[in-house]
Formats: sequence, structure tokens, C-alpha cells
Amino acid sequence: MSLDVLWAPFVEFAFLRRALVGAVILALSAAPVGAFLMFRRMSLAGDAMSHAILPGAAVGFLLSGLAILPMTLGGFVAGLAVALLAGAVSRLTAQREDTSLAAFYLISLALGVLLVSLKGSNVDLMHVLFGTVLALNDDALILIGLVASISFVGLALIWRPLYAECLDPIFLRSVSRSGPVAHFIFLGLVVLNLVGGFQALGTLLAVGLMMLPAAAARFWVRRLEAVIGLGMAFGVLSAYLGLMASYYLGAASGPAIILVAGIIYVLSLIGAPRGAILSRVLPARHRVA
Amino acid sequence: MHWLALLISLLLSSPAIGAPIQAVASFSILGDMVKAIGGDRVEVTTIVGANADTHVYEPKPSDAAAVARAQIFFVNGLGFEGWMDRFVQATGYRGPLVIASQGVTPRDFVDDGVTVTDPHAWQSLSNGLIYVRNIRTALCRIAPSSCGAFTASAQDYSEQILALDVEVRAAVATVPPAERKVITTHDAFGYFGAAYGVSFLAPEGISTDAEPSAAGVARLIEQIRSTGVKALFIENMTDPRLIEQIANETGITVGGELYADALSFPGRGAGSYLEMFRHNIGLLVPAMKGD
Amino acid sequence: MSGIVLDDLTLGYGGHPAVHHLSGSFAPGSMTAVIGPNGSGKSTLLKGLIGALKPLGGTISRDDRALAYLPQSAEIDRAFPATVSELCGLGLWRKRGVFSAFGPTDRVLIETALARVGLEGFARRPIDTLSGGQMQRALFARVLIEDAPLVLLDEPFAAVDERTVGDLVALIEAWRAEGRTVIAVLHDTELVRERFPQTLLLAREPVAWGATAEVLTPANLSRARAMPEAWDERAPWHEPHAHEPPHRHEEHVH
Repeated sequence: MSLDVLWAPFVEFAFLRRALVGAVILALSAAPVGAFLMFRRMSLAGDAMSHAILPGAAVGFLLSGLAILPMTLGGFVAGLAVALLAGAVSRLTAQREDTSLAAFYLISLALGVLLVSLKGSNVDLMHVLFGTVLALNDDALILIGLVASISFVGLALIWRPLYAECLDPIFLRSVSRSGPVAHFIFLGLVVLNLVGGFQALGTLLAVGLMMLPAAAARFWVRRLEAVIGLGMAFGVLSAYLGLMASYYLGAASGPAIILVAGIIYVLSLIGAPRGAILSRVLPARHRVA
Repeated sequence: MHWLALLISLLLSSPAIGAPIQAVASFSILGDMVKAIGGDRVEVTTIVGANADTHVYEPKPSDAAAVARAQIFFVNGLGFEGWMDRFVQATGYRGPLVIASQGVTPRDFVDDGVTVTDPHAWQSLSNGLIYVRNIRTALCRIAPSSCGAFTASAQDYSEQILALDVEVRAAVATVPPAERKVITTHDAFGYFGAAYGVSFLAPEGISTDAEPSAAGVARLIEQIRSTGVKALFIENMTDPRLIEQIANETGITVGGELYADALSFPGRGAGSYLEMFRHNIGLLVPAMKGD
Repeated sequence: MSGIVLDDLTLGYGGHPAVHHLSGSFAPGSMTAVIGPNGSGKSTLLKGLIGALKPLGGTISRDDRALAYLPQSAEIDRAFPATVSELCGLGLWRKRGVFSAFGPTDRVLIETALARVGLEGFARRPIDTLSGGQMQRALFARVLIEDAPLVLLDEPFAAVDERTVGDLVALIEAWRAEGRTVIAVLHDTELVRERFPQTLLLAREPVAWGATAEVLTPANLSRARAMPEAWDERAPWHEPHAHEPPHRHEEHVH
């Protein structure tokens, strides 16, 4: 067994090359978003939003079948609507955003399941929920590329208010009105990445690629920029190893990628300096002053 | 005057006079054949309608009611209708049960590692002739006075089948022998393949419901490359985008919808037994040639 | 100018007033301590002044938009991986806005501010390693950096040792000398008596407001202590203009 087992499948099969490219771009795009979700203590919001997208994608699917543009547009609109409504309710009433988000995403999800059951069978719903990274056609790759570009630019634009909201939201409110705007744009970027991700991995697994690498990175490094960088690296590694597992072991591709990300997380939990074990076991050193 | 009443009631209940024979057929293809032979003298109710799957069908109460009323019940046999025995028992039907495939030489195939009898005998037109014979005999037995009409229709229909058979063989002949193969998920073309010399290969690596793995997709691509197959007939399965991806990578064409177990809805191109054959050939032959 | 004028201001939560019927003004360049028992509405008043709370009644008129606010430090996310320099750097927001990057002059500014509060060398320290007193000083540094004409401080000396308190009050006096208006919520009556020229004694309703010596009289202080801390769920709703002036606040319950 020579070294080219590491890249031979990708050389031989075009579909695997595209899968790798798509998954890697998604990993790079989603990691910073996931890192911010984590730091803002909104880790579960990603999962909630992935369910919120469903009726929009379902409507797109009912109208035009498994076509990229309608499903993407529909999903994006639905996700944004839920984010907007949740935000509005939390600002206009005493209810907090995690509650209003839960309320609206559940409504959205139920609507989505109902809509799909009207026309499609169970198999069709699965297609909407679990896309496959092995079937990324040109349109899908372009979409993923677009999502990543918008995501990077968007994050750069709202970086400072996002950062301030993580660190000292009251202070931000006292100096600027950009807080709520940045928050809404950020949720928009979450939805965008999920919508891009569901083409490749389906709505449920797209969240995995967003959260797991960043969460694992947190066990190694502290700083925001470092978590983002390491999260991207872990995401790319998960994409590569997951596809390898799918090829050499015959595992379903999407779940394989996410499971690899999960294994990285568990290994980090066990073996990283900030993980569960080393932080207790290593002798603490201190300087003289 | 009891004898007059008896005679009248006998005459009235005889299928030969006035009321058409109430016949039930288990599935659409069979129903079409019965109608072709019985004509106006038979009213056919079909249990498993167009585009439906007989293998997994679950009979409804209305189906049971139709059978209970029926005077004659046609089924395919050869294990096609797995639910049939319990169903017939449940309806309390005691009339004639006609097995249309009686007399056919069955073939076997391997389904999930188990060797079973292939029930899709009608996919060979010469078997179709056997079906016609069986149907005609059964109808004549139940309505002897109309037997003349049944025989004439059956004769006519058989001639059409024979002509179609010649057509099919001629069409297949235009495909070079080495290229007479397709990949399809349908397992219903065994008799067709044996009769007309076309190989129907099962796709390796991907299945209807399970999420595909890279290994599976790679295996299918390799199968396509190594067998030199030019056409893929895989519908209702997995992700059509995945099939598109495979087609792009191998240069293979993705074929349209083949009808194997059932007729299409009327007007969709495969609304009768004969139409179905023509439709399938119309798709298979160009696909095999790589058009 | 950086004064604030209050007119019959009522601030509260859920229909219950935490501060009510407060009228008066913070003159530009004044240095006022806001003092009172627990639950007397002092923090609420500041939140209203910075615009975080909408008044239930009355108005707040503020000349200047720019203010520096030092909240009670518990509201900062200590777990967030920021350094002292980054925390203080937030103070440059008004100058730099959302987009422009920090330059070398900004770094010098931050270092200077840290030095003035006695935190030289702390720039790169993660904020979760700071003691309570150090955090307070860092927040003071941030206020320094903000360089605003109006400064509002909410319990600025909580968890701070006496020596540091002295240094920080000197800083506040320097601000006043620079012409800024300072309002500080405090607990320590003695400190107020010694260093703050103006005082607002609050017990949900204003007890007294003016020069410290006149406000912090034993009579006023015992009146303030007698204020009920709890809200009365059965209190009748307030009718505007329902009573004729003059009246004494002890006579009706809100």
C-alpha cells in the first residue's frame, strides 16, 4: 500500500473531486460562523435554524423539484423570516430570544413537514433533509462558492459589533445602534451557511460541520481568531477523512464527514490541553513573578 | 308454472344475455388483456391500478367488495401477488380463480441472495400468447354462448402480439450484439432479456433508499466503464442529481421511464400491454445504441 | 454643554416605578454622587440616563449625545477570550466606528490610559485573570479612553481596595477639572461627604438634591432609610395631575 491511497480516489473519480471541493469550501465558510455562535452562547441556535429552513426548502421542492435555486431561495427566506420574527418578538416583548426562536422554528418545522407530506413521499422528505455531497453539480458548487464569499465579506463587515456584543453588549448599546443590525446580519449568515450546507449534507448535518470543528478547537486554543483558524482546519480534515471513509469503508458520505468531525471533538476532549483530562493531570507550572 | 320462472331466472342469470360478465383482474396489465379479449361482454375491475406496485400492494375494502361481486377473478400467479391467498380467503370468493401464467415455463432469479421464481412472465410476448389462451379458455367456460366472440377477439389480439414480437426483434437487431445491455434497477425484465437477447444488469453500489457512499458510487461507475453499458434506467431512487453526476462522469445517457410491472396512466404512452412494449423498446433501443 | 435636565421622571419595570417623580438637573461640569439605600433606584436612574430604559413618565433632556458609561462589571462576559487592551479598546468605538482599524496611536492611547489607572503592563492580560479591583480599574481606563463630556459611573468602587479608591477619585476630580459632567452611584456616605460636591439622595423618590452638606443631613438620611424597599402589588394606579401642589410624598403610596 503506497502513499497514493491518500489521493488516488480523488484523482480517479470526478465526483469525489467535486465532493471534496464542495465540502472543503463549506467547512471554511461555516467554521467562523460556528465559532461566533459558540462565543455568543447560541450553539443550539444553529440546529434550530436548520429546522427553520425546512418549509422554505420544501416549498421550493414542491414547486420545482430538486432544483437548486428555488430550494435555496425558499430556505433562505424561511430562515430569515424566523430570525426576524424571533428577534422582533424578543425586542418588543419581555420574551427572550432563545424562547421566541424555539417557538418560531418549531412552527416552521411543522409547516415544512406538512407541506412535504402533501405531495412527496417519505423518500422525498429525506432528500430535502439529507442532500448528498456526492451529487454536487455545477450549480451546487457555484452556490457553495457564493455562500462562502458572502459569508467571509459579511463577517468582516460586522466583525467589530459582533465582537463587542460577545464581550460587553451593554457597552455596545451605549455607544452604537449597530448591535441589533449586526445581530440580524449574523443570523442571516448562519442561515446562508446552512442553506449552502444542506445541498451537500442536508439540513441536519450542515449544522454539524458548523459547530463540531469550532467546539473541538476550543479545547486547544483560547483566542477567537485561533478558534476560527483551527476550526477551519478541523473542518477541512473532516471533509477529507470523511470522504476517504466513504470510499474505503463504504460509509454513507454525509454522516461519515460529520462523524469524523465528532471523533476529532472527542479526541480533543480527551487529549487537548484544555480538554477534560490533561487540564487535570498535567502539573501546573508557574513563573517566579 | 315454476318451471317457467326457473327457466327465466336461469336465462337472466346467464352471462350470455344482456349483463356483462363481472371480471376482476389483479393488476393493470392483466386487466388490459382481459378487456382486449372480452370486449363489451366483460366488465373489468382492476385491483392494482396504473403505476402502482403489485409486490407491496395492500388491498382495500373496496377491492374485497369488487371480488365478492365478481364472477371470475384473474391473477398472474408465479408468486406475483404475495397477498393473494389471504385476500381471496377474506373475501369469501368461491368463483373461478384463473392463473393467467398457467403453462408458462418459469425462470428463476436471485433476489437479495435468495433464489425465487421470476413472476414477470408477460415481458416475453410469446408468454403473452399463453396468457391470451388462458384468458380465452376461462371466459368461454364461464360464458359458453359468447365463446365465439371471445375466440375471435383472442385471435385478433394474438395476431397483434405476434406482429409486435417481430417488431421488437427487428428493433433489437439494429443494436450491435455487444451493446445489447442496459443497467436498470427494475428486476422485471428477466423474461424480456431471455427472449430478445438483451442484458439487464443490476446497478452495483447504490440502492433506492439508503444514502449512497463514495465506495458505492465508485463501484457503479466502474461497472459502467467495464461493461461498456451506454444507458442507465434508474428512476424513483436516490437522488436524481446523483444519477446526473454519474452520467456526467461516465458519458452515459440516463434513460426515461420504463414500465415493467404496471401500465402507465392513460395518455402517458404505456396505457396498454402493447403500448407498454412499444414504449419500452422506443426507449431501450436508442439508449443501447448510445443516441 | 453636557448637562442633563429631568422633568417629573418616572422609571421602572413592569408598571412598578423604581424611580418616581424625579425633577431637577445635573449642571454641566458638576460632580454628583447618587446615593441611597438598596433598591432605591440608583442603577435604574443611570440606565434611564444612558437611554437603555424608556421612562414610564416624565422626560430626560440631555444636551450632548456622547457619554461614557461604566456599568456594574458583572455584565461583562469574563469567559470571552479578550485581553485588557481589547476590553479598553472598545472605548475607541466612537472615534473609530465599525470599520477602521486600530493604529499605533491607538495602542499608545490605551497604554497611557492603563498607566493612569495603575495597570501598566496589563495590556496583554486575559480579562478572566483580573481581580475585581483590577477589572474596575480597567473599566476606568476605558472611560478615560472614551474621552466623553458626560461620565456616568455605576458603583465604580465595588470590590476595590481603599488605596485604589483614592486614586480613582483623584481621576474623577481631574475629569471635573477638565469640564466634564460626572454622575456616580455610590454606597460610601463618608466618601461622598469628603470628595463629592453635589449629591442626589434617592429613595425611589428624591429625598434631597443639591450641595452635599445640605443633602446628607441626619433628617434626610433617616427619611431615606424609612423608604419601603418592596413594591406594593396592591397599590392603586397613579393618576396624572390627580393631586394639587404642594403635597408631601409620604401621604400617598405609589
